[in-house]
Amino acid sequence: METNKGEANPVFNDLSKSGNQKAGRLHQSLKRHGVNFATGVPCGVLCHIINNLVNDKSIMHVLANRESEAVGISAGAYLSGKCPVVYMQNSGLFASSNDIASLLIPYKMPILFVVTYRGCEGEDAVQHFVTGRATEKLLESFGVDFFVYEKQDINDLVNEIFNRMNIAYLPSFLLLKRGWNK
Amino acid sequence: MKRKDAIETIFSTIDDSDITVSTTGLISREVFSKFDSPRNIYIPGSMGLVSSIGLSLALCNSGKKIFVIDGDASLLMNLGSLVTIGTYKPNNFFHIVLDNGAYGSCSEEKSLSSSANFAKIAKDVGFNTVFEVQDENELKSAIVSDSLCPIFVHAKIELGGRRDFSRPLDLPGIKERFMSFLLNNNIRRQKYDISRRKNV
Repeated sequence: METNKGEANPVFNDLSKSGNQKAGRLHQSLKRHGVNFATGVPCGVLCHIINNLVNDKSIMHVLANRESEAVGISAGAYLSGKCPVVYMQNSGLFASSNDIASLLIPYKMPILFVVTYRGCEGEDAVQHFVTGRATEKLLESFGVDFFVYEKQDINDLVNEIFNRMNIAYLPSFLLLKRGWNK
Repeated sequence: MKRKDAIETIFSTIDDSDITVSTTGLISREVFSKFDSPRNIYIPGSMGLVSSIGLSLALCNSGKKIFVIDGDASLLMNLGSLVTIGTYKPNNFFHIVLDNGAYGSCSEEKSLSSSANFAKIAKDVGFNTVFEVQDENELKSAIVSDSLCPIFVHAKIELGGRRDFSRPLDLPGIKERFMSFLLNNNIRRQKYDISRRKNV
């Protein structure tokens, strides 16, 4: 695992939530696909996305204390005919992995997760190293689709995610690395 | 009161149009075996999440009553959900906890529920009404009471009871018929509301 030891750490968790173009495009793409419900646990990397969800009156937003709770809340929303999005860090993906595997997958609920991909190249926080290495392997082993955002067109990517999710009828995961929206 | 008595009391008291969400293990299996219906959703895995699923069902279906049938160890796994429910205060939400003080669906190992005053906790975090019930009559009264939701019902039950119930297995089928039930009932309700409005 490479780290940026010795360099000044770039600030990824500054509190400025002012308009971010890429987060705005992602928000509009989600809405075009009918997203009207949001729940999750925050991560600094997702601040613009969460801010957009919170400020959008057409989206019902329910806070959760932990990621498992968010998975349950998203399931109830889906059963009610809503189109939910769940946001969290990949640490929380592991915390809620049994709930994804034993609730959403056997019930075949196509729910989009927007997940911060900590612990990949450039990571400086040691607590993310193990989960970072295991994130893609976990999702692969669950047999679900996941998409790592690598500067492709965000709108095209969201279209692809929803197209595939509506065929597979399983939860799907968009992984965003630090600095994804720069 | 046995688990069987509590479950039979709940299902003989609620309306046909009410929704139930039941927790992992023997509670869901007993409900499935005896009272299976499109208005039920079972949570055989993801132990503890029944209250969170019930919360969003309540928030998204304001015209329907949602009955969460939880267990003590299951609630202890997701105790924070009480804070979430107490924050959003859905006015159609009933949280019934069947407390046998054990992981009854495992091998009846002791849980920690005797250390938790569930009713006090629920009240403290924002449930509008809490009941502690000991028998079928008290449980029935709690369910039909006109008190303000969210309502929390701590129902003490005896440990033990039948263990050979069948399992809900066709989960996608159960999901489809539950979603159809909600859709049809909500549409019917809207039509009813509209026709009633015209008469006025």
